[in-house]
Amino acid sequence: MRTRLDACLRAVNEVLLGKEAQVRLALACLLARGHLLVEDMPGMGKTTLSHTLAKVLGLEFQRIQFTSDLLPGDILGTSVFDKDSGQFVFHPGPIFAELVLADEINRATPKSQSALLEAMEEGQVTIEGATRPLPDPFFVIATQNPVSSGGTFALPESQLDRFLMRVSLGYPAKAAEKALLLGESRRDLLTRLEPLLEHDELRAIQDAVGNVRVSDALVDYVLRLVEATRTQPQFAWGLSPRGSLALLAAARAWAFLDGRDYVIPEDVQAVLPTVVGHRLRERADATGHGGGALVQWLLREVPAL
Amino acid sequence: MSAKPGIPRNSLIWLLVAQVLVILPHLTHLPLWIIGLWLGCASWRIQIFRMRARYPRSWLKALLMIGAGFGVYFSRGSLVGLEAGVVLLIAAFILKLVEMSTRRDALVLIFLGFFAVVTSYLFEDSLVAGLYSLLPVTALLAAMIGLQQSSLVTRPWPTVRLAGSLLLQAIPLMLVLFLFFPRLPPLWSLPQAGDRGTTGLADHMAPGDIARLGRSAELAFRVTFDGDIPPRDQLYWRAVTFERFDGRRWSQSYASQLPQAPEWQAAGEPLSYSIVMQPSGQPWLFALDVPQVASAEAQLMEDFHLQRRQPVNKPLMYQASSWLDARREATSAPASLGRALQLPEQGNPRTRAWATELRRSAQEPQAMVDALLKHFNRQPYHYTLEPPPVGSDIVDDFLFETRSGFCAHFAGAMTFVLRAAGIPARVVAGYQGGEVNPAGNYLSVRQFDAHAWVEYWVAERGWVSVDPTFQVAPERVEQGLEQALAREQSFLADEPMSLLRYRDIGWMNALRLRWDSLNYGWQRWVLNYQDEQQSQMLQRWFGKLDGQTLGLGLVALLGVLTGVLALLLFKPWRRETDVQQRLFRRFERLLARHGARRHKGEGARSFAQRAAVMLPEQAPAILAFVSLYEAQRYAEQTDATDDLSRALNQLRRALPWRPAAPAQRG
Repeated sequence: MRTRLDACLRAVNEVLLGKEAQVRLALACLLARGHLLVEDMPGMGKTTLSHTLAKVLGLEFQRIQFTSDLLPGDILGTSVFDKDSGQFVFHPGPIFAELVLADEINRATPKSQSALLEAMEEGQVTIEGATRPLPDPFFVIATQNPVSSGGTFALPESQLDRFLMRVSLGYPAKAAEKALLLGESRRDLLTRLEPLLEHDELRAIQDAVGNVRVSDALVDYVLRLVEATRTQPQFAWGLSPRGSLALLAAARAWAFLDGRDYVIPEDVQAVLPTVVGHRLRERADATGHGGGALVQWLLREVPAL
Repeated sequence: MSAKPGIPRNSLIWLLVAQVLVILPHLTHLPLWIIGLWLGCASWRIQIFRMRARYPRSWLKALLMIGAGFGVYFSRGSLVGLEAGVVLLIAAFILKLVEMSTRRDALVLIFLGFFAVVTSYLFEDSLVAGLYSLLPVTALLAAMIGLQQSSLVTRPWPTVRLAGSLLLQAIPLMLVLFLFFPRLPPLWSLPQAGDRGTTGLADHMAPGDIARLGRSAELAFRVTFDGDIPPRDQLYWRAVTFERFDGRRWSQSYASQLPQAPEWQAAGEPLSYSIVMQPSGQPWLFALDVPQVASAEAQLMEDFHLQRRQPVNKPLMYQASSWLDARREATSAPASLGRALQLPEQGNPRTRAWATELRRSAQEPQAMVDALLKHFNRQPYHYTLEPPPVGSDIVDDFLFETRSGFCAHFAGAMTFVLRAAGIPARVVAGYQGGEVNPAGNYLSVRQFDAHAWVEYWVAERGWVSVDPTFQVAPERVEQGLEQALAREQSFLADEPMSLLRYRDIGWMNALRLRWDSLNYGWQRWVLNYQDEQQSQMLQRWFGKLDGQTLGLGLVALLGVLTGVLALLLFKPWRRETDVQQRLFRRFERLLARHGARRHKGEGARSFAQRAAVMLPEQAPAILAFVSLYEAQRYAEQTDATDDLSRALNQLRRALPWRPAAPAQRG
């Protein structure tokens, strides 16, 4: 399984140049059955990342462009009266795909946003009294643009919490950008990509990730981290138990990607910025954007052993 | 300046109070300008605190310092020595006030204050002074506490209450240290204050000398007898004998200061007692004839006085036993007889002639002495503290013209006559009598009890003491000086404030005696709790103890205390119980010694990788240990900690025994 995963990573990295760490994190997020929030400026490869991942993992891909007039029905689907059968027939929305890209999620109204976020959390949608399960695997990659925030509805903390990780792609390195400019169009590359993983295999891998061993000593470290966020004065609030569960799940996936069947503190530290960065705020700036400095403090000051 | 922590108001207040309290007992030996200096500096410092004034510039500070130095030099004539040193210390203590801007400065000032408190003991160590010094110490402690408080704490009383309770809590420790701490001999000799030990007997005696002592109520020594206090007329406390006469004054001969034990035979029951003497500045001790002292320091001199090597510069306590009926140098003529017959070549012709005449009529030495005493008794001699002046032939003038004088006149004259008649004689100086304090059943002997009498030598009886004053004024010996001088106003003329002047008032006298007894207790049990007393006390409690055992015991006690403290502080029972973690700490320490230190938040693997880069030769061993550690700690594969410690030992072997860097440098 490990070799297949490595092949997947290599394939994605061929399309998305110079972003190995982010690709690895995104894959870890998916393996941990979490959802990913990608935050970056337009044109940094957010869509390419999600598209490539879908392609390589053999997932059905749907994209929802969030706008201010988007309605929940546009996401979940609606029942339409069928003249022939004389009945209402449900037309599933784009959410019924295995990998959903929710582009510019902060442009939609809170009502539409929460429709998506509920679906993410429950793994099923209830429309007109009928509950319909979402496909398995189900993976949401939401993007938002941190810069032009006019006319947007920023996600509240409670909803940010639903995303396992928040990554930011950032500008590519010089060499990577040169290769990008000299190489083929990404879109052509995408179409040529072959799925490398069967659904069963993906599921098996996700199960295996859940079985990665977490020792007492490691849980103690996670508890120390969580405790620090709850007791230290610079934190506006502490991590929720959902946060600590998320941290452990992501660390397991990271350890698995590293080829180990047990988690070490370095795994936790590797995923810590992306897992808790969007869940923490500084006391001095409780409405601010994120806890990057706080995460650095945690990495530096909380005893790892 | 503002970046450094300033001095809180509370601390400043207590520091100023402490300064006043510290300086106050020193005022008796400080020049007056010190008060002005303090007032100036204190108000300056207060203005600085109120931001109305600046800190002095460095040239001004230098000027103040030099000025204070000159002030000390002009008022004390020197910059060294105890007195000048103390003035200098106090001046520095005051000047530091205006320079004090940071907490560090304030701490320096506080420690200086503690030192100044200690130096005041060099001048005064009575019970009152001891109790008083608690006040400046409390204030200094309060200043110290105030320094650590936030500047928002503005009420001074809670601070001083805390200081007081701290001081109270320190009392048990103080008692333990007082009782058990070994009294080490000083590393250097402490200078003695000049105004101490000045009153008292000197090593020579001109006729007016002892009369001058009669005006002083200062304490000479106190005696506690083991049994009943003997009658007054037996209490002749010998201090020193005068054998040389130069026509004007009597002085000690050099030979009598040689440590050569005289010969004597004990007779009767010994009388034992203990004496606490005040500093006298002289090496001799006081005792009744013939004494034996337990201390190895003091010994009996050839003329039966007790002497130690160093002068008595601080209160001294010693035990003595005396045989009042002992016969002294009775068997054979002692070597000192020649000195006991010495007279100046000329002078006092009338006395010499009279002595020869007396001797001719008396024949036997004893008859001669009796005749002389009878002469003093029958003729109109007068006992007074204010004798009329005499000419150059002092003995002639006294015996035949003025006929009034103090004990020194009578003793000197009688010795002269005896010598002129060929009977060996000498003047003995010391104290006679003393005041019985019923409150403590002891005897206080004061300077006005100073006395001089005569001893002469006759074959087979040896030295015999005789007191001519007794013939003139028997009440001097039987009741004391005050009664003997009832008609004169000269008693204690120099001491108008002395409580002794008011001993006719019953309750005041009782109060005075109580107070005296309290001071005596303080001296006996606190100031004199020195080597011998300490070891006696410890022996009473713990049996036989020598210095070594005591030292070892103290060290052991300290060790146990430190151990208990260490246990409480480090809590070893809470130490890493799990073996892996302990081994990892050892691994960390091992690498730290070679320069690779783990950061707090660094995991085992990242640390190992970093260390492997720093110590490439040992990289395999480091990584092997860490992967084993990870396998045990995180993968929970095995519990075999033996493997882990084996890996650690391998790493230890791989590492050079010493860190590389110093070895290369060496």
